[in-house]
Amino acid sequence: MQFPGQGKPPTGVVFDTDMGSGIDDALALALLHGLAGKDEARIAAISVSYANLKAAAFVDIVGRFYASATTGLAAMFLRGLPIGLANASAAAAPDTPILTAPALAKYPTGIRQLNDTAEVAPLIRNALTAQHDQNAVVVLTGPATNLVKVLDLQGARDLITRKVKMLVISGPSDINVKTGIAAAKRLFAEWPSPIVVSPDGIGEELLFPAASIEKDFAYAEHHPIVDAYQAYKSMPYDAPTWAMSAVLYAVRPQEGYFKLSDPGVATVLDDGRTRFTPATGGKHRHLILDADQKERVIKTYTEIASAKPVERKFRRPPSN
Amino acid sequence: MMTQKSLPRRTFLRGLGTTIALPFLDAMTPAMAAVRNTPKPPVRMAFVYVPNGIMMDGWNPDYEGKLGALPKILKPLEPFKDDILLLGNLTHNAGRALLDGAGDHGRCCASYLTGVQPRKTLVDIKSGISFDQIVANQVGKQTRFPSLELGMEDARQAGDCDSGYSCAYTNNLAWKSETQPLPPILDPRALFERLFGNGILLTPEARARQSRYRRSILDFVTDDTRKLESDLGPADRRKLDEYLTSIREIERQIAKAEKDNAQIDPHMEKPYGVPADFAEHFKLMTDMMTIAFQADLTRIITFLVTHEGTSRPYREIGIPDGHHPLTHHRNMPDLMDKVAQINCYQARQFAGWVEKLKATREGDATLLDNSMIVYGAGLSDGNRHSHEDLPTLVAGRGGNYIKSGRRIVYRKETPMCNLFMSMMDRMGAPVEHFGDSTGRLEGLDLA
Repeated sequence: MQFPGQGKPPTGVVFDTDMGSGIDDALALALLHGLAGKDEARIAAISVSYANLKAAAFVDIVGRFYASATTGLAAMFLRGLPIGLANASAAAAPDTPILTAPALAKYPTGIRQLNDTAEVAPLIRNALTAQHDQNAVVVLTGPATNLVKVLDLQGARDLITRKVKMLVISGPSDINVKTGIAAAKRLFAEWPSPIVVSPDGIGEELLFPAASIEKDFAYAEHHPIVDAYQAYKSMPYDAPTWAMSAVLYAVRPQEGYFKLSDPGVATVLDDGRTRFTPATGGKHRHLILDADQKERVIKTYTEIASAKPVERKFRRPPSN
Repeated sequence: MMTQKSLPRRTFLRGLGTTIALPFLDAMTPAMAAVRNTPKPPVRMAFVYVPNGIMMDGWNPDYEGKLGALPKILKPLEPFKDDILLLGNLTHNAGRALLDGAGDHGRCCASYLTGVQPRKTLVDIKSGISFDQIVANQVGKQTRFPSLELGMEDARQAGDCDSGYSCAYTNNLAWKSETQPLPPILDPRALFERLFGNGILLTPEARARQSRYRRSILDFVTDDTRKLESDLGPADRRKLDEYLTSIREIERQIAKAEKDNAQIDPHMEKPYGVPADFAEHFKLMTDMMTIAFQADLTRIITFLVTHEGTSRPYREIGIPDGHHPLTHHRNMPDLMDKVAQINCYQARQFAGWVEKLKATREGDATLLDNSMIVYGAGLSDGNRHSHEDLPTLVAGRGGNYIKSGRRIVYRKETPMCNLFMSMMDRMGAPVEHFGDSTGRLEGLDLA
């Protein structure tokens, strides 16, 4: 989508998530929709590395929830964005409390079978072709398995170099890296754009408050993020924000929420641990928690993730 | 009947200014040859492109797997449902705006067989070599024509046909190179002369002058025909007779069109031999496409039924409104119904061709069995200009390869170019990569 005469549109975000395995990805998705609602980002593509059809359906449910609120159209009649799902049989990854939450059954989704989802590699590649140069970011919050498939497509590396400002990766690394060590090794070694890693400690230090779930989302009688949050663990609990930190930095890198390391080279070791070696000209950096910003970051998380979607003017279909 | 000496596959009936290639006859099978040595008929492919998208509600069945009752638009193809394969969710990303703004009609047509986003321009056009031409470069030397590019409406190559996209983009399917489209032949007479003539295209005036004196081209090859018939068995004689009769029938139809056109308006801009009636024109062109395949004059045809973005009315079925304006129907039921009627009317003509191919025997199978005829469009929803879930139907089995009679729905964003990769394999012209392909299309040969 382009906006003629308005210069570059907001940053296009490709979000590759292991939605379903933890609640932080659901919160990150709410944050991303919130940023899109403020015209600070556009959701270019969402792909799911957690190979469970219900994970893709959940992403679709959330997308329709926000799209319905911003268009005024009923969620069931909307054409949802295609959601990529890891190339596996529909139920390869086990169900989780989020994905099987009975409360989610009331939301409409267009994803009922595998071919309602998209092939991940062409989905991401195609999304990048529609972005202005250096106006896209990729956020990875799960294993690197999906992104290395993009790397394997003809011409994809040049495309990434041209379009992607940076790739932002978040943990928890003991799950994400270790479930795909070979893919993680390749990603750090071969991904063409700069990479910024949000270390595990950031997500663990900055907890999303249960109180926000209980009161800030109350503008909607039913909210899929709230339903997922409540299904994940017994309330009340505060949740780590690994994925949120990555989304927030990817869209607002200039806001100083985090400090940034010197450049270097990150490599993935055989046991799945990541080693960062400072190096001039290195393409990799990592975020550093800034204790002075902690409250500000959490406030930003809660305000934007829980922001009530605002109805927008309907965009007319093409008539040429 | 087996004769001691087999007839060469490239046997022609020749006469003054005329060369008629023959269909595959039993006599062309080497004498005493074991069945296992019988040469396989070649695989052919054709693309029949309809513009402005399709009303997908009337195209997509609500099921996958074995084809049963077909939706409204595809109803005419129901008698041939065992011979067709419906493919869902194929996407042409190169047809999308990708920062180039309006012009989906120009882009979707120019990218349809090239897999390349065309340059938005009126002058220095650029797309990509189309995959049919890659195949033609590989296998085209085996036939008189490496490929045939045909159409029915508009072959203008200049001007603005869609929001800054040259008419070269909306009016051509095949591209010889990234800057050289191959304009389609629209006039049945011109195609006839190309297929059976000596390569000289006559002006309409010269044609009219000649037609006052000449008889059928078959009259010019009478001696060769008699001589050949004496060497053929009864089955081959019957096949030859049917074949020559079909050529004669085409001649009659062209002559009728020329006569009708002269009566309607002797100064009309339409080419001289183009029938005014859509269905007649379609039949004439596809009859000749059948002959071209049957006689192995070519193995590759692209057929741009009407050009992308066309506003042609369909008075033949009581629709005086322009096709393109109708497709922007604003969800008004009466307009949507008219678009569906046009879609169905075109599918009916296509079904007529499928029937003909199925009725044409070739060895132990039919011409349809040995072909891959893709019928489809570069847009799915013509109102929204969607480039995903493109309406794609493959008729024929590509030589005992495609397991037809099914609907396969692929995952979203599966590139259309993956189908082309598979077709190139089948045509004997494999490549490592084409357009935005991510591999071959799986499942075509699975029952």
